[in-house]
Amino acid sequence: MHLLSHDFREILGAELVSVTGGLFAGLLLASYIDKLALIPGLLIFLPGFLEMKGSISGSLSSRLSSGMFLGIVKPKFHRSRVLRGNVIASFFLVVILSLILGSIAYLVSSFVLGINAPQIILVALIAGVISNLIEIPLTVATTFWLFRKGHDPNNIMGPYVTTLGDIVSIVALLIGILVV
Amino acid sequence: MADKCKKLTGKYKRRIVKLKRKHHHPLVHHIHKKHNISYKTLLYMKEYGPKSHISHVIIRESLKILILASIISSVGGVGLNSIQNKLFTILPLIILLPALNSMIGSYGAIVSSKFTMMLYLGKIRGTSAGNSPKTYFFPFLKNENLHKLFFTILCIAIISAVYMSLLSAGIAYIKGFEISLGLILQILEISLISVIILVSLIFTISVSVGLWIYRKKEDPNNFLIPIATSIGDLGSMCIFSLLVFLLF
Repeated sequence: MHLLSHDFREILGAELVSVTGGLFAGLLLASYIDKLALIPGLLIFLPGFLEMKGSISGSLSSRLSSGMFLGIVKPKFHRSRVLRGNVIASFFLVVILSLILGSIAYLVSSFVLGINAPQIILVALIAGVISNLIEIPLTVATTFWLFRKGHDPNNIMGPYVTTLGDIVSIVALLIGILVV
Repeated sequence: MADKCKKLTGKYKRRIVKLKRKHHHPLVHHIHKKHNISYKTLLYMKEYGPKSHISHVIIRESLKILILASIISSVGGVGLNSIQNKLFTILPLIILLPALNSMIGSYGAIVSSKFTMMLYLGKIRGTSAGNSPKTYFFPFLKNENLHKLFFTILCIAIISAVYMSLLSAGIAYIKGFEISLGLILQILEISLISVIILVSLIFTISVSVGLWIYRKKEDPNNFLIPIATSIGDLGSMCIFSLLVFLLF
């Protein structure tokens, strides 16, 4: 086994950065633990919400990278139907899935746990919209910047979007709880 | 690559854009051969060409798999909800949670993409000829490249698990939570057992499902990553919840 192989070093480096970001997100959660306890069903919603943000932003970055490598998308913010279509689709996917995840959490809470707390659906919707407003521009800008600097965004954006997604999602979730 | 696209005549461009997804393969194959344009470029043109409604295409194609992944992850969330009281009182566990969740998901993506690449590069035999029934679905029992990938990922997972356990305990201590050696060992135990079980599970699923999809003449890239990451998420939340329930 080649412990110091190129793959080993590259994956370990990306993982340690990603884990550190995840721990920072966990620290945010821990800091507002009293607020989390106020909304029943939030822990049912949380893993799906974190996973969804990473998947949608990762796919957005991957599609834009393919477009840039093929010369169809320019690596800058401009009036392009491919860029606009990608951003709109990612925004609506997050909104639709936030509503679905919120509804699942509400249904499980009310039918399995016997707690009727429909505010989880509103928290999910607010958190989805807020996290979109922060994460989508950051993902697009970082993908463009990496491409312009001569890097392949596919190699770097995976751990970046999951880490960014964890932190932004938890901040958005806490804002959603405070609003509701 | 963009210059090569310009070589396409208007007739071909119109035909490829109008074709339904399930019908476009023969023509794409023809254009690829005649004009030496990669399949990736042609697929991108087909999906996001001038006549397609880009956001509709993306939403339609992504929604089903994302809903499935969300439902699977919510099942993991139900497990977490059952240990809510323990989770909210032991601070290092809640700090550890998002890191563990994303770490297992990213191993699913790494193993799936690397295994698919090995299949395409011929480092793993995709056909079943000459394989015993045992090695038909579990080729890692024999293949040296897969052994190497498994032990590389396992070593990285163990290092990451130790790193995140110690760091989460350290952060909790700084935030004023009382930490004892016994608690640190329990947190280490939870993260190490979780990653060892889950890396083995993800590896087995990625390899066996990936091989099955490849033998059906489909591209494992399109299916394997969402499947592996969702199962990784579900598994990590369930095993984490079970271990917290048993150890605390």
